[in-house]
Order: sequence, then C-alpha cells, then structure tokens
Amino acid sequence: MLETRNLDKSFGAVHVTRNVSMKLERGERRVILGPNGAGKTTFFNQLVGELSPDGGSVHLAGEDVTALPVAKRARRGLSRSYQKNTLFDGLTVEENLGLAAAVHTGKATRLWSDSLADPEVREIVEEVAEQVNLMPHIHAKVSQISYGVRRQLEVGVALATRPLVLLMDEPTSGVGPEMSKRFHALLNNLPRDLTMLIIEHDMDLAFDVADTITVLNYGEVVFDGLPEQARGSKLLKDIYLGSWEDA
Amino acid sequence: MFRHNALRYAVLVVLLAAALFQAFTAEYFGLEILTEILILAILVLALDIVAGFGGMVSLCHGALMGVGAYAYALLSAKAGIAPPLAMAGAVALTGVTAWAIGAICSRSHGIYFIMATLAFGQMAYSYVFEALVFGGDDGLGGIARLDLGLFGIDLNDSRSFALFCLAALGAVYGAAVLILRSGLGRSLSGVMHNEQRMRALGLTVWRVKADVFGLSGMIAGLAGALAAQHIMYISPGLLSWTVSGEALVVVILGGLGTLVGPLVGAAAFVVLKHELSGLTSYWHLVVGVILIAVVMSRANGIFGWIEARWGDRIERRVADATRKPEPEEATSDA
Repeated sequence: MLETRNLDKSFGAVHVTRNVSMKLERGERRVILGPNGAGKTTFFNQLVGELSPDGGSVHLAGEDVTALPVAKRARRGLSRSYQKNTLFDGLTVEENLGLAAAVHTGKATRLWSDSLADPEVREIVEEVAEQVNLMPHIHAKVSQISYGVRRQLEVGVALATRPLVLLMDEPTSGVGPEMSKRFHALLNNLPRDLTMLIIEHDMDLAFDVADTITVLNYGEVVFDGLPEQARGSKLLKDIYLGSWEDA
Repeated sequence: MFRHNALRYAVLVVLLAAALFQAFTAEYFGLEILTEILILAILVLALDIVAGFGGMVSLCHGALMGVGAYAYALLSAKAGIAPPLAMAGAVALTGVTAWAIGAICSRSHGIYFIMATLAFGQMAYSYVFEALVFGGDDGLGGIARLDLGLFGIDLNDSRSFALFCLAALGAVYGAAVLILRSGLGRSLSGVMHNEQRMRALGLTVWRVKADVFGLSGMIAGLAGALAAQHIMYISPGLLSWTVSGEALVVVILGGLGTLVGPLVGAAAFVVLKHELSGLTSYWHLVVGVILIAVVMSRANGIFGWIEARWGDRIERRVADATRKPEPEEATSDA
C-alpha cells in the first residue's frame, strides 16, 4: 500500500534520512521507533510531501507519488496527524471534522450549499466522532476542550479524509497514562483494513498496536521486524530500549 | 464560519431603518451622502470577505472597483451596450481580473500578499492614467444610469438611485452571507485558521483563495459600476491605492470579519468625512486619531467593541426570553 525506496534527505552536512526503504501492506500497522533526532518526523514529512527527498521515491498504492504536492497525495489517500496539535482552533469539533470530510467528498469548494449540512459529510463526521470518542464534545470549540481530547481530534481530522494510509506522529504525545490507555483502545478499534504508520515513544502502545516495528537511528533503518523480535533485540536495547527494558 | 447573533440582527435592522428614513426624508445633499455610504459599504463588504474571513488583506480593491467602473463606462458609453448588460459585463470582467490577481497572490502571505496586491492596483492605476482609451487623466464622462423605466423607476432621481443602491447592498450582503456559509466559505475559514492543515487534508488552497478573491472582485466591480453611475463621471483616482487604503480603514474601523462592522464603518467614515471636512481641511488627521484609538483599544473596531461589551448579554437575554418553561415552572406559574 505504501512503499519508500532509498529515501534520502540531508540538511547541509546533516544526513537526516539515509536510504530508507520500507513497505507497508494493506491493513498493516507499523510503528516507527527511534531516539530523538533519529529522523522520524523528517521521514513522515517526505512521505506526505511537506519535504522533498534528495533521492529515492515514495509509492502509494503502486503509484510513484514522489513528485506530487501535499494536497494531491492527500487526495490519493495519504493522511497524517501531527505531533503538535494542528487544528482549527476557532472552530468547533464538528466543524474541524467537517472540513476534512468536505475535502474528501468534494464538497469543500461548493458555492451553493453548506458542506456541513451535506448528508455524506455529516455521515463521515458522525462516524469519525464515534470512532475517536468525540461525540460528547462535538459542538465544543477546540479552545474549550482538554489537551487529551484535542489529540483525539487531531487523529479524527486525519481519519475524516477516509485515508488509505494513516500516518500518526506521536498520537499520545503529552497525554497522561489514562488517556494513553484510551488511545490504545481507540487505535485498536479502527477499521482493520486501514494501513497505519505510527511514530511513537510510548512502548506499551507500540507493542500493543503494532504488527511490525521499524527502528530508525541517525536516519537509518536499524531494525525491521515483529514486535516480539524487537523486544529481544540487543541492538534495540543498546540504542533505544535500554531504559524501558530495565524498568 | 460567519454567524448572525441577536446583536448583529439588531444592528442590521437599525442600519436599514436609518437608511430608509434618510432615503425618504433627506434632500439632495443628504441623498448623495447616503448613496456614497451605500456604495462604500458594498466595496468594504467585498474587502471584509477576503480580509476578515480569509486573511487576505488586499490593497487592490480600490483598483478592482475602478475596473468595474471603467468597464461599465466603456461598455455602456463607448461600446453602446445596454446598461444592464454593461453592468453584468463589468461585474464579470472584474471578477475574472480579481480571480487572476488572487491566483497569483494566493501563494504569498502577510505583508508580501499586501505588497503584491498593492503592485497590481498601482499597475492598473498607472495604465488607466496613461491610456487614451480610458480618457487618460481626464477620465470618462457621460455615463448613463440604468433605465428602469419599465418598472416605473427613474434612476436619474437621487432618491430612486439611493434606494436602488440600498437594494444592491442588501443583495450583496445576502450573497456575502451565502458565500461564507457555503462549502467554499467554510474552506476559506479553514485556510485562514490553518492553511498547512487544509493542504494536508487535500485542499487546493490557492484555488479556494482565488475563487473567493474572484467573488469578492465581482462585488467590488458592482460597487464600481454603481459609483460610475452615481457621479456619471470617472477618473483614474478611483483606482488609486488611497481608495483601497480608505476601504481597509473603514473595515478596521467598523470591525474586521464581522460583515456588520464594515457597514457601521462605512456610515461612520462618510458621515465623519463630511462633518469634519466642513470644519477643517485636516479631517484626515481626526479620522487617523480615531483609527489609532480603535486599534489601540484592542477592540475589533466599533462594532467589535459593541459586540464584546453587549453581545453576550443580549444573547443570554434572547435565550432566556425564547426558552420554553420547564414543566415544573409552568405548573407553578399556573
């Protein structure tokens, strides 16, 4: 469903991603681990087109999308959530989801009708709000909801575009243990045919959700395998998991 | 997204009542001032749509108004096209011009967007100033008003023309509300709040901006066609950046991003201008001081200030008044 071939990116002398190749099958849930500065978010930015790679290619559903801009990749089914909330703060939860659903259904540029009143858009909004537990907050403005609920909305907005592949950059970033558990359930309850690529620091979530795990270090793929293999990997323990394993 | 509240409806009713009172009771000079307010109100509504709801602060809306005015003058007076068709043509031509400007400028933001629109405006001004087909710096005269004789209305009468402009303003206000409440308007709001996210969702952001800029241009073009008919003469000064700057002052003075505020601003500005210019030739200084006071007060213009103080209170009272009594309350009342 999503494949990268030798994706390479440097900022001056700093090599941020080095020949990263990765292949996600339809419905696969892969978690990317790596210490701070490993190039995980830069890798994401190249996947969605916010950054152009210096070399290599990105393929979505068998098509090379490397040269496509952000919006065109999104329309082809590549959607992302951000590490820092990137929401429409002055709008309500419903309007946030509605904007994404309207773009997906092609109602976002209609002049003769309100996109949020469109039955197709409303159906998506309500379905996604249920999926990410936002129904109790549906009419609240973003500025009125808690940080944890905003994280849910962050994922909800990405989901409302009905993506083929959902990229999530640290969905539980900054949330407490209780909210983190709710996120586990939320991600596990998403449709099984949705392909997911998740950057995560929360190990419990990573091993709970992931079908496969990729570890980046200094921009390079240093591990690619099953969660069970990751748990027993000495290399991983050395570069990343030591503190977790010892705890 | 744009919403009406009780205060906004109340202010609209007061403005409409005042305009109708003025239209039916004023003499020639009062009617001319009213018409000036109404045409300026149409222009600033056009500017508020892009600046207040799309974050596109334009300094070419004066020029767009000029495009509408010149297009109407050339089509009706020079090309001999019937005034209604000339007016429709002027609106359409201004819309296309604005769409092209919007498409080019939409890739820039903030001060760069302002400068790019200013450059387009000044290019248009310079061209019209020099080109003989537009009458150069002498301008064009002999511009006819629409003929509504079929309906028994003589627009050469100042009162009728003022009422015609009021109807046009009403239609434009309605159109602006519809635009802002449409899918396109919601997307524009999304772009203003978070352009990067809208792009990441799959929206072609430049296209949304260009489309709304084009629609706004059509409204500015209508203001221009009405301005040409009002004075029956046009000059390059209509396209000058000072007209765009004045429109921006009016929007900020009234309340950016409120639609109602710019109407208040247009009325306040024109009345102030005429009252103060009778007292001193330095009336711009007084308007400048008022604008600084409004900006420094951190209120969103005159209407924003009113809304911040009384909006919630009025909304609560309306909600209380319209709230259905609970069964227990109803029983105890009985």
